[in-house]
Amino acid sequence: MNEALNLYFDNAATSWPKPEAVYDAPGRQMRQAAGNPGRSGHTRTLEADRLLYKARETLAALINAPDPGRIVFALNATDALNIAIKGLLETGDHVLFTAMEHNSVLRPLGRLRQDGLISTTMIPCAKTGQPDLDYLESAYRENTRLLIVNHASNVTGSIAPLDRLIASAHGRKVIVLVDAAQTAGAIPIDVQGLNIDMLAFTGHKGLLGPTGTGGLYVRKGLDLKPLREGGTGSQSESDIHPLSMPERLEAGTLNSAGLAGLLEGVNYIQARGIESIQQEEQELRSYLWERLVELPGISLYGPHGGEAAVSVVSFTVGGADCGEIGHVLESAYGILTRTGLHCAPHAHQTIGTLPEGTVRLSPGPFTRKVDVDHLINALQEITGLMSG
Amino acid sequence: MSSSCYITFPTTFFAIRAESLLKKTGLTFKMVPVPRSISSSCGTALQCPCEDLAEIKALLEENSLELESFYRLEEEGIKKPLVTELEL
Repeated sequence: MNEALNLYFDNAATSWPKPEAVYDAPGRQMRQAAGNPGRSGHTRTLEADRLLYKARETLAALINAPDPGRIVFALNATDALNIAIKGLLETGDHVLFTAMEHNSVLRPLGRLRQDGLISTTMIPCAKTGQPDLDYLESAYRENTRLLIVNHASNVTGSIAPLDRLIASAHGRKVIVLVDAAQTAGAIPIDVQGLNIDMLAFTGHKGLLGPTGTGGLYVRKGLDLKPLREGGTGSQSESDIHPLSMPERLEAGTLNSAGLAGLLEGVNYIQARGIESIQQEEQELRSYLWERLVELPGISLYGPHGGEAAVSVVSFTVGGADCGEIGHVLESAYGILTRTGLHCAPHAHQTIGTLPEGTVRLSPGPFTRKVDVDHLINALQEITGLMSG
Repeated sequence: MSSSCYITFPTTFFAIRAESLLKKTGLTFKMVPVPRSISSSCGTALQCPCEDLAEIKALLEENSLELESFYRLEEEGIKKPLVTELEL
């Protein structure tokens, strides 16, 4: 493999590389089990049905969901969040969300608010990304229905204190939706232990699967209105979409090829151990932080090295355009990063980097210490030139 | 003339969940396309010997599966089978 190609520091956008089995499974699924899941009842359809069941069961086990039927497949975390938000909220509802939320939350809420259907309140966060719990306590209203929490920030890596947030919300009979885009596959999640009502995840980041995969966990007893209705292969004589989960929230032919890849991604994570992945990424982030701190003129954002965080570090270099730094890193050193606002404007406002944004580094489960050393050498040269 | 029994499910998810649970037992069963003589719904049904139907039903219900209907089909050659919906 080309050494430079391995210097991929953009796993928070999409993970790369994937385990080999993830590349192979979609092709195998299309060649060997190409039946339309849930439709015809012949052997290839049954094989596709079994694959989807296995994928639900495996994902349910990963997040400790009690029933695979409560895992609904979606295109990505954004899609899952839309299913949750638009399937739950009713006219007149009030919604709380933290300042670390992504546009995948801000925009569905923004549309509903603009249409005059709901009202919202943003819970401010400290520069470390931690939500202001006192503010939260004062923000509940009689009609507050939902609290949306980004489990970990895609800008700073900070992890939200889910236990305290959920205890607070449930004390007010408020439902909690967790955005696990940056945490599913990266840190252990126990939806039963934490009493999570809904959890949205994507397949192509920490779960190491293909793009176009993801899902939503919905706890038992919470019945959402379907965002989409249509063919399910069941109860075909009825004009009304089935109410039974998981088909209730799924319509049309599912992405069985992609989900075959996602299943292999989760299998890989289970085999390597999510606790090991978390620990290795945490150690690498600490190392990255310690090396970055030495650079002249650099400002780092979010939890310090050694503090709990997912594998994301944002930085700026005094006065320099972050887009330019990202461009030089790629063109001169073959190092891939992501610069700008990362679809999270309030998070950047919180850490004081609006409107310029930051350079974001997100190592993944295949990033090595030596890759970090290459990155630091490159940044030493770039910052040296700038200060010289 | 031979007879066998069928369980239909509200959705495919429950059909495959039933298969997954029953595979762990020694019970005899088969997943088959829903016979047209039972329903026009496209999908998968569980076929089993009629003497095991009650046991299979109890096991699936213990695991919170949603089941739709139960049938006995008596088949003789290529003649249209005699279908009886069972009240269980």
